[in-house]
Parts: sequence; C-alpha cells; structure tokens
Amino acid sequence: MRVLKLRKKDLKKMLEKISSFGELWAPVKKGDKFAFQKIDNLNDVDPNAGRTILPLKKFMVPPRFSMFRYDKDGYHEQLGEVTDRVVFGAHACDINGLLILDKVFAEEFSDPYYIERRKRTAIIGVSCVPDEFCFCKETNTDTVDEGYDLFFSELGDDFLVWVGSSKGDDMVRAAEELFDENISVKDIQKFIEWKKWRETQFKMDIDLTAMPDIFELKIDDKVWEKIGEKCLACGSCSMVCPTCNCFNVTDTVALGKMEGTRDRCWDACTLHEYSLVAGGHNFRGSRADRMKLWYTHKLQAFIGEFGKPSCVGCGRCITTCPVDINVKTVAKTLRGEEVYFK
Amino acid sequence: MANQLPRVGIYGLTGCAGDQLTIINCEDEILALFGAADIRSFVMAKSDNTEDEMDVAFVEGSVSTEEDLSMLKDIRKRSKILIAIGGCASCGGPQSGRALEKNWKDRIKQVYGNTKFEIPDAKEHQPLSAHVKVDGVIPGCPIDKGEFLRAVSRIVNGDMPIAYKYPVCVECKYNENECLLLKGIPCIGPLTAAGCDSVCVNHNIPCVGCRGPVIEANVASEYKLLLEKKFSKEDIVNRAMMFGGVKMAELLENLKGAKK
Repeated sequence: MRVLKLRKKDLKKMLEKISSFGELWAPVKKGDKFAFQKIDNLNDVDPNAGRTILPLKKFMVPPRFSMFRYDKDGYHEQLGEVTDRVVFGAHACDINGLLILDKVFAEEFSDPYYIERRKRTAIIGVSCVPDEFCFCKETNTDTVDEGYDLFFSELGDDFLVWVGSSKGDDMVRAAEELFDENISVKDIQKFIEWKKWRETQFKMDIDLTAMPDIFELKIDDKVWEKIGEKCLACGSCSMVCPTCNCFNVTDTVALGKMEGTRDRCWDACTLHEYSLVAGGHNFRGSRADRMKLWYTHKLQAFIGEFGKPSCVGCGRCITTCPVDINVKTVAKTLRGEEVYFK
Repeated sequence: MANQLPRVGIYGLTGCAGDQLTIINCEDEILALFGAADIRSFVMAKSDNTEDEMDVAFVEGSVSTEEDLSMLKDIRKRSKILIAIGGCASCGGPQSGRALEKNWKDRIKQVYGNTKFEIPDAKEHQPLSAHVKVDGVIPGCPIDKGEFLRAVSRIVNGDMPIAYKYPVCVECKYNENECLLLKGIPCIGPLTAAGCDSVCVNHNIPCVGCRGPVIEANVASEYKLLLEKKFSKEDIVNRAMMFGGVKMAELLENLKGAKK
C-alpha cells in the first residue's frame, strides 16, 4: 500500500485538484448534527466533523430511487443517471459498514444499482476521535484496511494518506506535487502515539463479549416484551444504521399513459408491514418480535453467517432512538448490568 | 374498465373543501385526469353533473349532519369503490377534536345555546368509516396532489391507492432531518401515517398528525415520552387530537390518564 503525507493546509488545494473525479460531498452541519452534503464551497469541508445523521449507505443505495422506466416498448435502465462522486470525511466505522453492504449487495447476489454507485463513488476516509456514543472499538471497527480509495490519518500538521485503490492512486497523481513520499521515523512515532491516545478516548461503558451466547440464553426473556412496549415502531434505528439494507419496490404508473417507473425505497424489519404476507398473516406482527429480530440479526445471526457482527459501533441508534432503545441499552439489559426496561 | 373510462364522482360533505380544491389545483395534470377518467360528478369543477352509478367515488369531509349521512349512504350505494379523501373523511377532522370527551350535546349547547339551526340534526363529527364501508383512504390536510394523482392512476389500472403503514419518521429519515422529538419539540411523527414526505419537519415544524394515526401507533409510549419531556397531559392530548379526530380518540381512550 502506498502511504504519503499531505500538509493539512493543502487539503483544500488537493480537493480542488481532484474535482474532475466527481462531485465533492462531505459532512456539513445540519442543525446540531452533521449530514453528508454536496460541497459548493471548499471552506465548508471540515475534516473534524462528527457522525452524520445518515451513514454512507445513502450514496450506494439512496433512500428512494427509480430503478428503471417502462413503457410499451420495454424497460429502460436508469443507471446512466448515476453521477461520479467523491465523498470526503468517511469514518472507519462507516467504511466498515460499507464492507458489510459489499457482502450483501456485491457478492453472491449482485445488485447492479449498488455496484454502479459504489464504483462511481470515491471514498476518502478520515481518522476521527470518538465521542461519548462511539463504541467501534468494541465491534472491532475502529480501524479499516480496505473499502476506501484514500484514508487520511491524523499526523499533527499533516495527514498520513493511505492509498487504498487504483482510483485513490489516480487522485494522488492528480495532485502529486502536494504529497510527500518521505515518511520519517518521527512521523511513524507520532502516528503510533496518536493511535494510542485515540484508544484512550473511548468513553462508553459497553461490553459486547459473548453477545451471541447471551442472545441464545435470553431469547425467550420477558424483557423483549418490555422493549416492544416502549418501541415507537418508527423505523428510525434501521434507517440510520450503516448496515441495514432492506428495501421495498413499488410501481408508479403515469396517469393516462402506458408508462411508469419501478421505484425502490428503504424498508425495515422494524416496521409493521415488513413481515406481512399475502393472505394477511404477519410473521412478526408484534414490536417485541421485531425488536428481537433486529438485535439478534445485528449481534448474533450475522456473526454466524459472516464471522462478525453487523453492528459497526457508530452510535447512531443511540443518538437517534427517541425512546432510548439501542445497542447499548439492549446489551446492558440482556447482560443484567442495568435495568433500562423495567 | 379496460375499454371505457371509469366513471368517477368527487363529493364533499362537511369540511373546508380543501381537498376538492387541491384536485382542481392540479393545473398541469388536470387534462390527464379528465382524460383518464370520466368525471361525471364534481360540483366544484363543473355544472353538468350526472348522479348515477359510479366506478369510483372520492368523498371529502366528515359526516356531521343527517344530510351528510344520507348523501354518503346514497354515494356508497351507487359506487363500486369509495375512497375517503382528506383528514375529515378519514379521521373526522379538526371538528372532531373533542371527540374524546364524548359530550356532544353539552358541547353544542355550550357554544350555540338554544339557537335553532337551519341545518337539521347536526351530530358528532365522524369519519366516513363510522357509517359505511370505505375501500381506500387518501389522508392528509389537505391531500397531496401527487398522492391523489398516483392513487387515481392505480385505481384506473385496477389497483388500490397505497396505504402508508409506516410513520412519518421513515420519510423524515429519508430526508435526513434532525429528530425534533429528540430536541424536545412535541412532534407526533411517530404516531402519524407517512406519505407526506415529512413536509413539515423538512421545514423544521413538528408533525401535527394531519394524516391521522398510523397502524400500530404506539400512543402510550409517545405519551409517556412527552410527559417525561415536561409537556402537560392537556397539551399532549390537544396536539394528538388536533387532526387525529375520532381515530386518535379511539387510541387515547384506552390510555390511562389521558382522558379528562
């Protein structure tokens, strides 16, 4: 892997030089939070931005999009409308989330809509400092070795830039004069020191040890009923989760015309209609069953299938659920550490 | 329906007529609408109306008088499909905001005293479904014209309008809004059926529930949450009842402490 140095004060220049790679998107303040937004003014780019309301999945699987148009002559793919984008400011947890989506959408059952957008979206990661809701260390997603094109690590007045793909290499070459190939021993020491300091910044009290076993032991526990009583079934946890990937498909027929679009939107197993089948039976009609499914999927079943949890510790469920149901409170309750759901 | 255009009637009971107005305001699409359906009755839009059998009737407004009721029953009898449009027809509307209190006669006396009414037999405002079978609902105050046109298109093609069985929060997240509830603002998006594209929250205004309660609305949990956020029982109930009408009253009725 190619590793280079970039002076922090040259970041804007660098982003300007790579503008031909696509629209630049980065986290920008939205109210008290951040959201990945299209950047028109490079001064808006903030490498220290906190977690965004929605994760990177919105780039690869937009919340709503048309898959194709159809008329009496057949159907017409709308993949040509996918634009080239450069997303700056992705955190390690979110890139790990993308790696999970890659498994779901780009391996055994490949999804052309995902793959096209993934291919056309350059990811520039940035190292971050955890806040009180981050627990990526507990899910082993606090660092990332693949899935990005470039990754910028903190190095005092510089960034240490890891080149993760040939597109990343092309981007570096487009701004070659801004990068320094010489990484000194001092730089390496500085990098290690910062990494060690970052490790000390995780504040959240959470323990996910042996979660799959704990789920097995607690699968019939009454606590799920309590969680179901509290759950608003608003689906927000699923919408903001970097690894939730379920979707619904609907047809919209133009009024009075022989044409229409086939549209896709995010759906979630936490919503009432998700498990409703023809004939009116709902396999998970109760919120308790749906909550149980969601958490066992994240912290137990996915491990069985893919060897790691489908939770990347980003903290979004914690900062999003209005009634405080999230990986932290559920894990704590199942462990009997603290009773959140009395 | 395949060879001839579906016969459509658009009617209004007690309400502000805002839903019919929304249909008339479909300026760019109104020709397509009149081209896709044989609109036989639409008093607000035309004068030569024919009242006979309809394939589809769209009815706005609440049932608030005996006259409303007999009109509704007549429409039901001669229509294959009956669609409630707007908040009044689907939930009872703001006029049923006191439905939880149940004391219709006392309330009307309190406001009007012994006034003799020109309109006979005013009654507690009810959604259409309290009196007749309703096949589909296009909720909202007023209805969204895009949703209405999509619904017409679906019906013309032999399908029913989409019923939104998830709350506004889903669309609110599609739009990447900050959660207003988390900021301590009494938003009832979690209790309210989606389909509006979270238009109010997109403009930083909390959801007032104009599309009526979503299936499985967890009123008890949101009520508790708002109490924890220091809102009074009265404020919470008033907010939920502003547009939730009879449908919300049914949910609140079982809630300990919410009823006066």
